Amino acid sequence: MSGTDRLDVLEARTSPLRPRTARTGTSTPRPRTTVAPRRPRRRPVLVSVLVAVVVVLGGCGSADEATSGGGARNPVAPAGDQVFTIGAIPDQDPEKLQRLYGTVADYLSEELGVTVDYEPVTDYAASVSLFRAGDLDMVWFGGLTGVQARLQVDGAEAILQRGIDERFHSVFIANTATGLQPIDDLAGLAQLEGRRFTFGSESSTSGRLMPEHFLRQAGVSPETDFAGPPGFSGSHDKTIELVAAGTFEAGVVNEQVWNSRRDAGEVDPGKVTAIFRTPPYHDYHWVIRPDVAERFGDDFVDRVKAAFTGLDRSDPTEAEILELFGADEFIQTDNGNYAEIEEVAGDLGLIAR
Amino acid sequence: MVLALAGSLVHAGVGLQPTLNPAGWPQLRRFLAAAVEPAASPEFLRLTWEATLTTLAYAVLGTAMALGIGVVAGVVISETWWRRPPSGRSRRRGRVGEVGGWLASRLVVGLPRGVHEAVWGLFLVSILGLDPLVGVLAIGIPYGAVTAKVYAELLDEAPRGPFEALRSAGVGRVRALTYALAPLAFPDLLSYAFYRFECAIRGAAILGIIGAGGLGFQLALSFQSLRYDEMWTLIYALVAVCGLADWWSTTLRRRSALPTRTIAGLPAEREGHDSVVAIRPSLRRDRRLHASAVVAVALVVVSVWHLGIDVSTLWAPRAQRLASEIATSSLPPDLGAANLARLAALGVQTLEMSVIAAVAACVAGMVAAFAVAGGSDGSRPAGALRQVGAIGARGLLLVARAVPPPVGALLLLFVLLPGPLPGALALALYNAGILGRLMAEVVENLDPGPLGALRSQGASPGQGFVYATLPRTLPRFAAFGLYRWEVTIRETVVVGLVGAGGLGRLLGQQLAAFDYRGVTATVAALVVLTFAVDVVSAAVRRSLR
Repeated sequence: MSGTDRLDVLEARTSPLRPRTARTGTSTPRPRTTVAPRRPRRRPVLVSVLVAVVVVLGGCGSADEATSGGGARNPVAPAGDQVFTIGAIPDQDPEKLQRLYGTVADYLSEELGVTVDYEPVTDYAASVSLFRAGDLDMVWFGGLTGVQARLQVDGAEAILQRGIDERFHSVFIANTATGLQPIDDLAGLAQLEGRRFTFGSESSTSGRLMPEHFLRQAGVSPETDFAGPPGFSGSHDKTIELVAAGTFEAGVVNEQVWNSRRDAGEVDPGKVTAIFRTPPYHDYHWVIRPDVAERFGDDFVDRVKAAFTGLDRSDPTEAEILELFGADEFIQTDNGNYAEIEEVAGDLGLIAR
Repeated sequence: MVLALAGSLVHAGVGLQPTLNPAGWPQLRRFLAAAVEPAASPEFLRLTWEATLTTLAYAVLGTAMALGIGVVAGVVISETWWRRPPSGRSRRRGRVGEVGGWLASRLVVGLPRGVHEAVWGLFLVSILGLDPLVGVLAIGIPYGAVTAKVYAELLDEAPRGPFEALRSAGVGRVRALTYALAPLAFPDLLSYAFYRFECAIRGAAILGIIGAGGLGFQLALSFQSLRYDEMWTLIYALVAVCGLADWWSTTLRRRSALPTRTIAGLPAEREGHDSVVAIRPSLRRDRRLHASAVVAVALVVVSVWHLGIDVSTLWAPRAQRLASEIATSSLPPDLGAANLARLAALGVQTLEMSVIAAVAACVAGMVAAFAVAGGSDGSRPAGALRQVGAIGARGLLLVARAVPPPVGALLLLFVLLPGPLPGALALALYNAGILGRLMAEVVENLDPGPLGALRSQGASPGQGFVYATLPRTLPRFAAFGLYRWEVTIRETVVVGLVGAGGLGRLLGQQLAAFDYRGVTATVAALVVLTFAVDVVSAAVRRSLR
């Protein structure tokens, strides 16, 4: 699986709220002796071990500080600090992008001529809050979370999407033992009534919002028409596993994740099968805050767009970035493309109207 | 209690409809098989190491803050503090003041306690943004409230004679407390502090799931795409850190002859107080204690520096602006009739989950505790088999409490059908890990006299167990279980987030929809439920004593 063999370039940065001293991936613990505090002899084992822990903890911190360059950003930085902070919540192989994000930050730094900080986040609600607070200047949102974020930040703009996001699909899957048959049209989804069914994450566009919309069009009301309330597995991979296990008889996943798992041979076709491909809709996109223009220059948004649309497969680094995002290419988008998502989200009570 | 359990089980569908899903065994087996093949590439090990340090730093600072709050607030909410000196003025007015002040302060600490640290984390992120303080406060605030409650109980349990003597002599409350009460309660306060530290390490790991970094963050990432080998490496790191904290605490307590009776904040046994007084002089000279204090302070300093803590963000204008925005969007809570009805129905479900979780955790913890203690108890040396069993049980307990409940819930969901049961059992497993350790300590500290006497009279091991061991441990076990019951109410939130039902599931949906008024109402319902369970469990515990 490509996810694990590429850990060799893994940059061990930590979290969105990570220590600011642990900025770089190149840190190595400093030899203990250099910072070992004076300590009396003949201490019990307990104390020496604890001292060693303190020293190592401190040693790492100091090594990090020593090697951290201009990338270090103070969380309470003065207004003049020009750091462009981005974050992403990918749906496919989140651990790959979140642990290899140094590649993305370095590329953008070079292209844009400003310091770029990548903050990995795992939680949709947290990333929307951070975008609203201004701690994230640009975020890779899903269709729904992008709309939610723009509703909370006046003037925020959807600027870029992947080629596939223009016509994104979800796939309804079923455990083969259920006898559920592939269907050709939306109305066929009615056969899921009375079955145990799971969505992905509550905030997912492809794993929840649009599938719920299509189910309702087929006359299936998720809260009442399944056997028990629908599950929220938390991710597409979990949905696939839970349907394969038979815990849920059917579920719905992002088509890109489904295809990638199926092609990698990670899905047992004897246990779980695709039964319906939904009509297309818009999904993932980069949303940028309006204040970047005054901080980085009027043409900054255009330069960001160019940096992404110009990603070239023939360059190994740029090809890697495309792969981390599961993208063939990046293309422009605009707020208008998400009107349908916004309407559906309003119908389902996922945004305030 | 039995009725409550039976009702909960029936309502959860046990016995009425199928609950097992044997077809999911291969999925569970894949996870278990990865235990012997954890991810071990140098890069991943380095990532794990750095994440471990971050988790440790959050736990250290979170515990430090919790203890700070616990000491101050614990004094203020203790009954002892509000009690007037025996020669007080107008008796009736004094009594009202006593009870009123005590109740009001109790309510104040009940509030942060009813809110899970993961919810605190999300709330703080939206006010403080990307700041390591979020992780520290999200642990420090709820744990501080729990610590305050426990410290108050410990102070109230300590012999009050010297304190009241000083008070009658006209000495002020603070000084009387410092000189007459605090020294008597100190060993208990200390042993609870260590227990909190171990909890904080696990708490920091759960927080990672909302983005507070460290092991929990990495675990959340690997969990999302089900990289089981990576998950095991991270779980083992968590086991190692928790084990280290446990070892530090045990060593300190054993070698310093500190009593171990008050783990989990249960009041000391009455007869033990003589020994507390007796060990006082040795406390003062104990070098390990001093060295540990130095190490603890050093850990705090290093952690502040490692995380880059800057408290000025707390009163920065932006935090104030965001806080007022959050306040306007989340108040008043959604208390419409329809929502209240829904909250009541889901509250019952949460309560049922917590009852199943607490009882199952108690039973599993007890079995494990006797297995662990079986390796060392009694007057004769234990056989090799029992020792192996003891080590195995200890390891299982460590792993059980290191696997975050959301992970456990998914694993159980592979082999159980959807409903409240998988979530409840995931909480049971996690809490069994905690309870088993606490209970094993009770068994190990048991006076061997009665059992030895019975055995020398020719009683079989089984008879000895039933007549000498069980009667002296069961009340303590029940008390532990009741204490954890309150905790499981709060924890249903994190399994609810993975869809296990109850108020937690509703909360997850409200958070996804940014329905802040709804969130406030749901959190309020959880606080009320926690408070109610606290009152009931305190009453039952009192009757057990």
